[in-house]
Amino acid sequence: MYGRGLLKGLWVTLKHFWGTIFTDVRKFPRRYHREGTHPTQSDPSLYGVFSLQYPEEKVEMFPRFRGPLVMLRNPETGETRCTACGMCVRACPHGCITVEGEGKGKERKPVSYTYDLGHCVFCRQCVESCPFNAIEMSHFYEMALYQKDTVWGLDHLLELGDESGITDSGQAWE
Amino acid sequence: MEFLENLFLNIGNWFMGWLATFLPTWAVDLIMDILIIVILLVIGIVAVLILSFMERKVAARIGDRYGPNRWGPYGVFQAVTDALKMLTKEDIIPKVADAQIFNIAPAIAAFAAVMTYAVIPFGKGLVAADLNIGILYFAAVGSLSTLALLSSGFGSNNKYALISGFRAAAQLISYEIPMGLSIIAVVMMSGSMSTQRIVLQQQQDGWYILIMPAVFLIYFMAASAEMLRGPFDLVEADSEIVAGHFIEYSGMKFALFFLAEYIHLLAGAGMIVTLFLGGWSGPFLPSWLWFLIKVFCVIFVFMWIRNTFPRIRIDQVLAFSWKVLLPASLAALVITGIVDKAFDSAVVTGIVMLVANVVLILGTSWAMGRRERQKQLAAEGAALR
Repeated sequence: MYGRGLLKGLWVTLKHFWGTIFTDVRKFPRRYHREGTHPTQSDPSLYGVFSLQYPEEKVEMFPRFRGPLVMLRNPETGETRCTACGMCVRACPHGCITVEGEGKGKERKPVSYTYDLGHCVFCRQCVESCPFNAIEMSHFYEMALYQKDTVWGLDHLLELGDESGITDSGQAWE
Repeated sequence: MEFLENLFLNIGNWFMGWLATFLPTWAVDLIMDILIIVILLVIGIVAVLILSFMERKVAARIGDRYGPNRWGPYGVFQAVTDALKMLTKEDIIPKVADAQIFNIAPAIAAFAAVMTYAVIPFGKGLVAADLNIGILYFAAVGSLSTLALLSSGFGSNNKYALISGFRAAAQLISYEIPMGLSIIAVVMMSGSMSTQRIVLQQQQDGWYILIMPAVFLIYFMAASAEMLRGPFDLVEADSEIVAGHFIEYSGMKFALFFLAEYIHLLAGAGMIVTLFLGGWSGPFLPSWLWFLIKVFCVIFVFMWIRNTFPRIRIDQVLAFSWKVLLPASLAALVITGIVDKAFDSAVVTGIVMLVANVVLILGTSWAMGRRERQKQLAAEGAALR
């Protein structure tokens, strides 16, 4: 029968229409306030709403996503692992990292460590070059700021490192 | 139930009685007529608010999205904010446009759309003007929108708008004919052109969609082409002619076209309900509620179809009208005329009509399939040669 394809097409769209409504009803009484982050739905055979409601529902970043730089703590002492060797400064193609250190040998520690977010291109060369696994690229992506020349210091980078939940650098690359 | 059924009529009668206590008869009639016009306009505007929201939601759900959901619970005030935005926009008239035609086109569009409300029976006794040629009036006024589209396309002095206007003229005139012929089939069955009478006749005969599905299909397709919806929305084809005749309009003039489109949609759906789905008749609920339920079901089907099928080309649109719908509607007319006169009993008439209509649908489908296969064979033959 000519025209059967039209009915088939109508059936497909009707199934998608009901599918989104049924998956919504299951969430009742909440509409989209689900906790945590969510993977994006990419399988076309699934039914239900594909889009995530951004401020309430956040997208789960893939493991090797390169967000802004954070500093990691030494799990034993709780302080930074950085020894101010300057390898990251040399590796950075845009010169957005500066380090000043003091002390000799194993005592050497950074006095100041600045990271210029506005100039960073998220290449992860600094993390690759770090011999002490002291820094890592985080999964943060909400980086809209009011100042163009935002420079993050040592303490803030350490706080972000705690927030990011990363324990060791290069975990996703193993 | 009796109270709800007669609610609007009672309010009207009470108001008329109150006016008659201190006004002469002609003044009461004048005020009531103006009041009915205002009510119809308000129905139109409210319908636009509801339908534009519904359109976006249905389109979103079919596309696995949420649709507007920020302003108000589940986004129900989205249409209100859209309307406010439209009101505050700057009104631009292009320098090279033909200003008079350009300015009057949206007014004609809205006017032609609102005029059709006069004959739609919204409930038992709830019809603004129970004309004895109601259907003819509907068809005549409905086709006025061609003028609006053509003049907006011409007046804009823009090549996309002009193409859109020509498409509108070609398409609307082509689809008037099968639409009119299928209306004649219904009129033959019911024996009246008054919309109220057709509804009353369907209470005896049964809904006409059940006895003449082929006529319903023809009318449905012609109506969706007439309303520039579904796969027939060539006139405002965004991807080829950038929204067509809307292209130079901004602010309230654009909003008037938008208004006309949705008022036309509600009127067209109301006419389908009146002609084929038993109008306002139904059990338990008051008649005006039944009418609204049926209308919104039909509108949902229109939106569903629009979001399912891809747009077809202008030559396909016209070929479909002249080569498929016109012969089919002529055949349906002949079938209706013969069957209606051949049998005395309503039941036998209904059954024979249903069988003949199903045969007509299958026959048309078979003929279209055969032609398609022949074209395919010819193409293969040409490839071999």
